[in-house]
Amino acid sequence: MTSTPDLAAVSLQRLTYTYPATDRPALDDITLDIPAGQFCAVVGRNGAGKSTLCYTVAGFVPHFYHGALAGGLRVAGVDVPAASLAALAGRVGLVFANPFNQITGARFTVREEVAFGLENLGVPRPEMSARIDEVLALAGLTGLADRSPYALSGGQQQRLAIASVIVMRPQVLVLDEPTSQLDPVGTREVFEALHRLARSGGAAAETTVVLAEHKLEWIAVYADRVIVLDRGRIVRDGPPAEVLADPALADYGLTPTRYTAAARLAAGRGLVFVDRPLPVTLEQAITYFEDKRLSENPLGPVSDRAPGSVGDRPEQFLDRF
Amino acid sequence: MTDAFSLYAARPSGLHRLNPLTTLALVGFCLVAGLALPGPWGPYAVFLLVLLLAAWGQVLPDLLRDALKIALPFAVSVFLIQGLFWTGGTPVVGLGPLSLKREGLLFAAQSTGHILAVVGSFLLLSLTTRPDALMRTLDQRGLPKALTYVVLATIQIAPRFQAKANTILDAQRSRGLETEGGVRQRVRALLPLVVPLILGSLIDIEERAMSLEARGFSRTGEKTSLLVLPDSAAQRIARWLLLVGMVAVVAAALTLGSR
Amino acid sequence: MFKRNFTTLTLALIPVAIAINIAIGQLIVLLKLPIYLDSIGTVLVGLLAGPLAGLVAGGLTNLIWGLSGLNPTYTPFFYVAAVIGLLAGVFGALRWAKKIWLWLIGGLLTGVVAAILSAPTSAIVFGGVTGAGTDLLVAALRASGAGIMQATFGQGIVSDPIDKLVSFLIVWLIVLALPVRLKARFPQADKLPGETTVADSWDA
Repeated sequence: MTSTPDLAAVSLQRLTYTYPATDRPALDDITLDIPAGQFCAVVGRNGAGKSTLCYTVAGFVPHFYHGALAGGLRVAGVDVPAASLAALAGRVGLVFANPFNQITGARFTVREEVAFGLENLGVPRPEMSARIDEVLALAGLTGLADRSPYALSGGQQQRLAIASVIVMRPQVLVLDEPTSQLDPVGTREVFEALHRLARSGGAAAETTVVLAEHKLEWIAVYADRVIVLDRGRIVRDGPPAEVLADPALADYGLTPTRYTAAARLAAGRGLVFVDRPLPVTLEQAITYFEDKRLSENPLGPVSDRAPGSVGDRPEQFLDRF
Repeated sequence: MTDAFSLYAARPSGLHRLNPLTTLALVGFCLVAGLALPGPWGPYAVFLLVLLLAAWGQVLPDLLRDALKIALPFAVSVFLIQGLFWTGGTPVVGLGPLSLKREGLLFAAQSTGHILAVVGSFLLLSLTTRPDALMRTLDQRGLPKALTYVVLATIQIAPRFQAKANTILDAQRSRGLETEGGVRQRVRALLPLVVPLILGSLIDIEERAMSLEARGFSRTGEKTSLLVLPDSAAQRIARWLLLVGMVAVVAAALTLGSR
Repeated sequence: MFKRNFTTLTLALIPVAIAINIAIGQLIVLLKLPIYLDSIGTVLVGLLAGPLAGLVAGGLTNLIWGLSGLNPTYTPFFYVAAVIGLLAGVFGALRWAKKIWLWLIGGLLTGVVAAILSAPTSAIVFGGVTGAGTDLLVAALRASGAGIMQATFGQGIVSDPIDKLVSFLIVWLIVLALPVRLKARFPQADKLPGETTVADSWDA
């Protein structure tokens, strides 16, 4: 295991990986550098290789899954194929979709569950307590510290899973569809907690985040960068405003955000003639529609109409204008 | 604590405040004495001791209720079977063509005493000791941490699994499968429901294992513990005395038995 | 020695297997079926992860089931359950599960061993009875002049082999249905029923 102060927290060089007992590579010639502190989202249809990329960055490929790996893989300054999984624990954190499976079961309270990783790292007791208090507060779980982990809701359990990993102060946090089993409220809570934890999780430096996710609207708000995977290859890579507004998104089995869809619909109906990229977030959508040439809007300026909540569907959203 | 597979009843008692190791030694002594003391009345003396300890732990009604519930079917069976069918015993009460034999009844009394002592001892431990406190005290003293993990995870996963199985049972009942059909039919109706449950839980273990790894489960080197359990010199001495007591009881039983 | 002998996957498997034992065992009791089926998880661990893991899963099932206070009468039989897991593991290691009939013979043998091993505890601790329906058999045997130990063994030798045969069959079907990718990751992967290709080549 060698440590070098390289800039990239995650670095894959021409990496190809094939699971045992399969023929087709799950990751096909991937080259990817993620700078320290970046929030990088990974999107793509089911089976595109998102989970495999997550497992690779977290060191479970090749150490847990075995199979055939070719190419270079460095994470948090560690040459992953040469290191052990135990050596990666604490440097790289991994969060899954199913909150239930991530509860160790070996601890009876939320507080002790968070302590599990720190105990394994041998963190002294006073420091452990301080770190746990801080993380529980950021995850919004302080009031539940003495409850059984199994008595929490799905969203609370998922925040507990993230907190339990973040408390170990990993340089890289990997999340594999952490909200796919949650309702909209749980999803919002998880994203907000994730943002707080990754940006002020007590660590000296900001945590690098690699997030596989289907919910593009949340990615549009929080990610610095979006990577689109298809058949194990990177097919798009760039800032969310660029990648998520790309019409080619549909080719990769992805549905654009309702804001992009609304803007595209408006442009298609000849309502908007703005020469700027399509919006991917609510904020961008508002600017986008405010910006359009007023003279060509038969309904008058947007600000004249009553402010209301934005509808859930593109058509409803469009009705405001 | 209702979320774990445990009877633990939180009470403000001295027994509850003991270090789990001390309670374990106490229960171990009762168990050994209950099985080693000469019958038929030795085991009952031990059961009485268990009841006194339960009273100290403020769990006497719970323990008595559970112990009787478990021991009663055994007691009925053993008194009837061994009482009636003891070969070559002295008849004391005639029941038509059959008769209760004196030796059979004494044997049944001793067996019932054994059951009460064993069940009572286990219940005393379950009712007054938090399983996580017990296991973690043991792992702080050298029991493999992996074993602690297995035991504690089991008692938290089992109730959830059981809840799922009960959902299947309810579905079966609502379809009348409990009463209808023969044994083979009922088993055959149950399997398509139980097998997917087992398969699903097996597929989940992959993520469970990965989550453990990500939390440093396999990491070697010094580990620390958030949980600290109180202990005292007096309790340490008590534990040694109980250990000596266990040896003494077994030795006494062997000497008495060989005479 | 505990962690050195078991992979994390095996350690994650054991609690789930014990939960399967307990849940199915209780379900069968509630359905009043004349069978136990409380060692499916134990046999599963033995087959997938080897004799030692099976031994631990079996022993812990009865210890936890009993010490949790829910079924204290099971605890004294923990060694029987441990041997069941051990035997399933040994038969698995011998590749008996590759052929269904050989594996089922393993189930019958396990049942016979279980009956022999449980008789002494049953006779000494519980006076030869179980407090359940099979006690009628004990009564009949006692009435025909059998000793306590013989009567207890007689009860066991009738019910145990059938029970273990059915348990071994269910486990065999479950393992057959497991995804190959998951099967490939267990210590006894190459000895399981069905396809278990393990390609573990490295060209990094």
